[in-house]
Amino acid sequence: MKRLLAAAMVLCLLGFQLCGCGGGTKPGDQAKVPDEPGVPEVIKIGHAVALTGDASIWGQSESNALKMWARKVNEQGGIDGKKIELVTYDTRADSVEAVNVAKRMIEQDKVVAIIGAAQSGVTIAMTAVTEPAKVPLIGTTATNPEVTVKDGVVRPHTFRVCFIDPFQGTVAAQFASTELGAKTAAVLYDVGSDYSSWLAQYFIEAFEKMGGTIVGKEAFRTGELDYRAMLGKLKEGNPDVIFIPTAQKEAALAMKQARDLGYEGKFLGGDNWGSPDIIELGGSAVEGGYFVNLASLEDPDIQDFIAEYRGEYGSDPVLPNPVMAIDALIVLVEAIKKAGSTDGDAICKAIEEIKDLQALTGKITYDPQTHNPLNKPAIIQQIKDGEFIYVEKYVTS
Amino acid sequence: MLLQTTITGLAIGGIYALMAVGYSLVFSVLNFSNFAHGSVIMLGAYAGYFVLTKAGASFPVALAGSMLAGVILGVTNERLAYRPLRVRNARPLYFMISAMGVAIFLENLVYATLGAHFYSYPEVLGRSIVRLGGASIGILDLFALAFSSVAITGLHFFLHNTKSGLAIRACSFDMTVASLFGVRIDRIVGLVFALAGALAGLSGIFLGMKYMAYPTMGWITNKAYVAAVIGGLGSLPGAVIGGIVLGLLETFVSVYISSIIRDVFSFSALVLVLLAMPNGLMGRYVEEKI
Repeated sequence: MKRLLAAAMVLCLLGFQLCGCGGGTKPGDQAKVPDEPGVPEVIKIGHAVALTGDASIWGQSESNALKMWARKVNEQGGIDGKKIELVTYDTRADSVEAVNVAKRMIEQDKVVAIIGAAQSGVTIAMTAVTEPAKVPLIGTTATNPEVTVKDGVVRPHTFRVCFIDPFQGTVAAQFASTELGAKTAAVLYDVGSDYSSWLAQYFIEAFEKMGGTIVGKEAFRTGELDYRAMLGKLKEGNPDVIFIPTAQKEAALAMKQARDLGYEGKFLGGDNWGSPDIIELGGSAVEGGYFVNLASLEDPDIQDFIAEYRGEYGSDPVLPNPVMAIDALIVLVEAIKKAGSTDGDAICKAIEEIKDLQALTGKITYDPQTHNPLNKPAIIQQIKDGEFIYVEKYVTS
Repeated sequence: MLLQTTITGLAIGGIYALMAVGYSLVFSVLNFSNFAHGSVIMLGAYAGYFVLTKAGASFPVALAGSMLAGVILGVTNERLAYRPLRVRNARPLYFMISAMGVAIFLENLVYATLGAHFYSYPEVLGRSIVRLGGASIGILDLFALAFSSVAITGLHFFLHNTKSGLAIRACSFDMTVASLFGVRIDRIVGLVFALAGALAGLSGIFLGMKYMAYPTMGWITNKAYVAAVIGGLGSLPGAVIGGIVLGLLETFVSVYISSIIRDVFSFSALVLVLLAMPNGLMGRYVEEKI
């Protein structure tokens, strides 16, 4: 009896498998290929974004905003009459997951280009798949220089729409020196994060170039809770500013503890601070802190977009990711139009030639040597009365 | 600088000590490492947060609430997860596996119900600082240190000056003999878990106020466990000494050597102590240590 049952089960399984195989190789798929080889009926654009996990607060908003913008592009006629279709997958801000997502987009969904990811490490991991497949990849807030340039050689199919870490570190250092009048600075960074290490390094270089003195540099590992030992050491040098280029959770805890130790100087951070979490977690300790950001809700250039987003989703977009992703889409649409093709190499060539393209956050000109946008203004924000205040658009000297 | 480092080390060590005492208390009686202690601390932190913000209660009420939550959780935990094993005379290894199961269960329960969101306590004690010589310490640290000392001293007093305390100490020597002398084992074990739960609730609310409340915060107690082992599992003075030694060691390494390799030193210290003194600094002789 048992044997019979087993045999029956094996048969069933076999049956399922055969059905499955048959389904996969239906010849119908082939027939859908359009007559025109250059541009397919629908232009599929991949969107790799963290919809769950720590970074989901930006990811969800980014996904919403990009969907809204894609619809707008389609309403205005798409790309030469062809509609664009977003293929959105969750990366969980995890490199392994993002690589799988990129594979799926390229192999199954046959996307012509990918927007994302927001994290430098994740984007670098994705290039392992997108570069061999010659699929253009446009990072949104991936600010690490190595995203587009590896060992001095530009990655041919990888671009970004944000400025790079050196620039953010430079902005922070020049702002501290010129606007805050800082003569001495200390740095507390996360050695487990590329983002944080790079920002720290470029801040130090730029600050010293401005004639300032770095009185201390301390590091910790991601997820650390207690920074008092390192802060106590930094406080000894009595720095005018402490630069903390880390994620909002670590930065908020570190600032709280620095105030507990009696530090009275100013805090300065990078764009990772731009989450309301930092105020909830840091309370009064984060008051007055300045940070460099890629975009601000008060940026006069993006007011129309914000109003539209509010109307659609009933809340403010969580910047900067949504506007950066939209900039990426604008760049991509323009490049596909110009190239008149969805071939990866043709799109990349078109992006390299983009000059003074009016995107959402400003004009974009690409540097073909580095695949970075040239001279993007940075935004300086301050935490005041539990809110992010727009201070100024800062352009480095 | 030396003074500041010492004060910081003491403040960190005090938190380790408070958590380590909870580990050691359970170990002293049941001879197993209750890894669910970290999860009870985590839920204590959440309890304190919700009493403080949602119920709008004052800090002493929240403190009591989080200790009460710790007691209820600790006792329930013992009833459901450990008593059935104890009745069957299971070996300590199985208690420990059960404890790990409870820890993972509670952590995932929080993920499923409250999510991965970080909850930050409102600033009940303010941001004021106290200056001692050239060094400063946060009022919260000072308060936590004082309260922890009171709690640990109170526990010590309880164990040495009450009948129940005597029964607990008797059980920690030999449970069978203690039961022959009329000690009701179930009640004493329940009491031990209630005490450990109250300490967990206390650690939880202070950890939550100092840092924040989140599902995986129970893993901070890894360090407390290391402290308990350095001090000698099962010994309460050992747990306190282990906690303070570890806190000071970490802080001094961070300041004078490098903050990045701090954990290398902590765990090397553990290995060295165990090599030289297998029972920890103040440990008593036990045949099986898991």
